[in-house]
Amino acid sequence: MNDIVMAASVILILVGMTAAIFNRDPFDKLISLSVLIAGVFPFIIDRGFLDIAIATALIAPLSTIFTLMVCRRVQE
Amino acid sequence: MIALYVCAAIAVYAALRVIAERNTMRKLPFVNVISFAVTAIIALLLPHPITIIAAAAYFVGSTLESNAIASTWAGGIKKP
Repeated sequence: MNDIVMAASVILILVGMTAAIFNRDPFDKLISLSVLIAGVFPFIIDRGFLDIAIATALIAPLSTIFTLMVCRRVQE
Repeated sequence: MIALYVCAAIAVYAALRVIAERNTMRKLPFVNVISFAVTAIIALLLPHPITIIAAAAYFVGSTLESNAIASTWAGGIKKP
């Protein structure tokens, strides 16, 4: 992987982590987790684990949807 | 190689806009921009036939995720 692409992925991960720590709204926290997962993906692809990348890309939104159901129930 | 750098720059810019934005509804288009840019990075990074399937799976998954967040935040159907 190039250094520039790797630096961009690291910036995505750090920005998502920092925003997920310091946000108070649960929807903002979920958006920050989405940014963090987007930063993790180029590292999985770069090693050649394509099947793991496909499985992670299909499982990660499921966890977000389950967390959204909890958020919706708490607000009501 | 230039296309990869442009996609990385777009991803970083959209991430900075996401944390700079205060309104939750204005953050969601930039999450979509990040997903487009990361899909392009995945497709351009490794020359292998299965890479395009991984890029398509990530694109479908991340679009589903951001649309689920947006529809839950908007409140759904109001009961009379």
